[in-house]
Amino acid sequence: MKKSIYLDYAAATPLDADVLKAMEPYFADDFHNPSAIYLAGRKARLALEQARAAVAKHLGARTGEIVFTAGATEANNLAVQGVMKNFDGGEILVSAIEHESVLAPAGLFNCRHVPVDKKGRLSLDKLAKLINDNTVLVSVGLVNNEIGSLQPLREIAQILKRVSNSRGSRGLPLYLHTDAAQAANYFDLHVSRLGVDLMTINGGKIYGPKQTGVLYIRTGVKLQPLILGGGQESGLRSGTENVAGAMGLAKALDRAQQLKQEENQRVGRLRDLFIAELAAKFPKAIINSVSKNQSPHILSVTFPGTDNERLMMELDEAGVQVAVGSACSASSQEPSHVLKAIGLSNAQAQATLRFSFGRQTTEENIIKTLNILQAILNKSSD
Amino acid sequence: MKRVFVGLSGGVDSSVTALLLKQQGYDVVGVYMKNWSQDLPGMHCSWLEDYQDAKRVAVQLGIDFKMYDFQKDYKHKVVNYMLDEFKAGRTPNPDIICNQEIKFKLFLNTALEDGADYVATGHYARLVRDLISHKGRRSGVDVRDQIFHMLMAKDANKDQTYFLYRISLEALGKTLWPLGELTKPQVREVARKNKLVTADKKDSMGICFVGKVSIKDFLMEYVQSQPGAIIEQNGKTIGQHGGAIFYTIGQRHGLELGGGLPYYVTGKNMKKNEVYVTTDLQDENLWNRVIRLTDMHWINKPKAESQKPQADLAVRIRHRAKLIPVKKLKLINNNSARAELGDDVRALTPGQSAVFYAGELVLGGGIVF
Repeated sequence: MKKSIYLDYAAATPLDADVLKAMEPYFADDFHNPSAIYLAGRKARLALEQARAAVAKHLGARTGEIVFTAGATEANNLAVQGVMKNFDGGEILVSAIEHESVLAPAGLFNCRHVPVDKKGRLSLDKLAKLINDNTVLVSVGLVNNEIGSLQPLREIAQILKRVSNSRGSRGLPLYLHTDAAQAANYFDLHVSRLGVDLMTINGGKIYGPKQTGVLYIRTGVKLQPLILGGGQESGLRSGTENVAGAMGLAKALDRAQQLKQEENQRVGRLRDLFIAELAAKFPKAIINSVSKNQSPHILSVTFPGTDNERLMMELDEAGVQVAVGSACSASSQEPSHVLKAIGLSNAQAQATLRFSFGRQTTEENIIKTLNILQAILNKSSD
Repeated sequence: MKRVFVGLSGGVDSSVTALLLKQQGYDVVGVYMKNWSQDLPGMHCSWLEDYQDAKRVAVQLGIDFKMYDFQKDYKHKVVNYMLDEFKAGRTPNPDIICNQEIKFKLFLNTALEDGADYVATGHYARLVRDLISHKGRRSGVDVRDQIFHMLMAKDANKDQTYFLYRISLEALGKTLWPLGELTKPQVREVARKNKLVTADKKDSMGICFVGKVSIKDFLMEYVQSQPGAIIEQNGKTIGQHGGAIFYTIGQRHGLELGGGLPYYVTGKNMKKNEVYVTTDLQDENLWNRVIRLTDMHWINKPKAESQKPQADLAVRIRHRAKLIPVKKLKLINNNSARAELGDDVRALTPGQSAVFYAGELVLGGGIVF
């Protein structure tokens, strides 16, 4: 089988070998329900709590502030719905480029969008203006999954703090949530350094198992649970715990945070190489982000006048896997809200591809991909 | 180079159609017709997957690809037609109307306006073009007219001419069916040899474009039904049904009358909402020797009343039904016909089509009333 060049790490990552090793014992050997009172159950409980402690350490949080969920979509839903259901009439502000798993639950409440600039960076002024007396929650993803832009979370936290202070202890709280799914491989996740009250982690994007996730909830933030039942995770997420999954996620986060500096640089260089090759071969191509305030692993590129779905299929025929940067195709008839928010027209959105790099991406991959792309685009322009 | 727009459905037949025409030197453009995208009870509409498969095949073949959105017209001309026919107590055939109105009219005209010289589909049927010359009436000069012969496909098992008999002659003049000379296994082989992504894809089933949904579930989405009486051959009411609209002549299932002999539907009355049944398999309502047709459409029109009908004149009253020999065929005005058959046909259903053949040649047909 021809080896493929995989450039869609923002969508899915292969399971790390160490992660699999960490999970293995909990499939058939130590498979027991952590709530069981016999010793084997207590052993499973211990493992789960060790995983929790490991995650907490990387976030600079307390173990009681870590809730395991089945993936990031669930964690985002828990954060948004969990908070907003406690404040009838409260308002939620989200960035215009949040992932659908934030936008959709936010849309159930009084929700307004904070615009971003052409490079996908949130406008702090506009945010400050949009906060009013009823605002309870602000959700801004640390790294955007489509264009990779990095948000100024600390500055956002400072704005929120000023508002909070002016409200006094009797006023409505003002919380900051961030979806850090795309950030965990490359950036610091310390919750106090970022200034967040809630944070989502996605195991599936950091070489861990899919459908594993974490919601960090700062002590004092009251959430209504989404999933009711046996009362696990301090009542916030019922259901027999996925011990293997939690062990896998903890190991994956461990590896990701260990490697983050090194990977940030290495992948950053790959991205720079890609951009240089792109400039040389496709002077008309437009890169939808800047190199500063950007995650190194995501590159959104518009190839004017092309059909991105077709381009993606042609690349797949040649063994290269990339993402269609826009959902605007016959499939959904709606342009990607992210590309729309940074000012792309429908036609431009339909000509946009997303390349995302990861641990196994090499320089050779980059060069080969751009050669293949060149061959495809030259052929179609004949 | 002649340009042909191939209706790519995302299935193997239309994929191979496009490939063969490209090999034959045509300038091929692949077109996906979006006619329906709604899910229905118990059925997920696979239009998106089919669209992506169709597009992928176009990429593999290196041909241009378009999508035509005909959902509005399809709803109006095929779905509403179907619902009206059912409400009138008949059993329509949506595929036949779809070919007549959508594939070989709307699609064809749109393609021609878009620069096509021909359209092509993955139907199993043969089209033979013939030129007959005769002396022009006024000029006396030789004039040659193009006429068409629609023939059954070589693969008798896959022959789809039953569904294609209502296509206008004008449309036939612009149509190509390259699969008519191939068997299904041969088509699959061609697809596999060329590594087309649809080579092993299962054939689609169910209502043309809509998908595999039971007629009952489909109708229940759109029509209000009332319970009514099931009356057996002696006039006795023996049970209740959920709506006469759901029943068709000859039907055995779905009567929910408990054990004993099976009941067969012999007729229904839409106004009274009654369904008539019998246990007698030989009930005269279930068998016909004479068929009466309306809305005739001819590709090769026979003489108005054949004194000596062709020896190989036969009719099919249902897709995949046996060909029944025709003893006498009488054309009554331009719109109707009456045929005396050489054998009884079972469960002749109003709304279904009867298609006449002379050997392999498709003559045309009409709707049972």
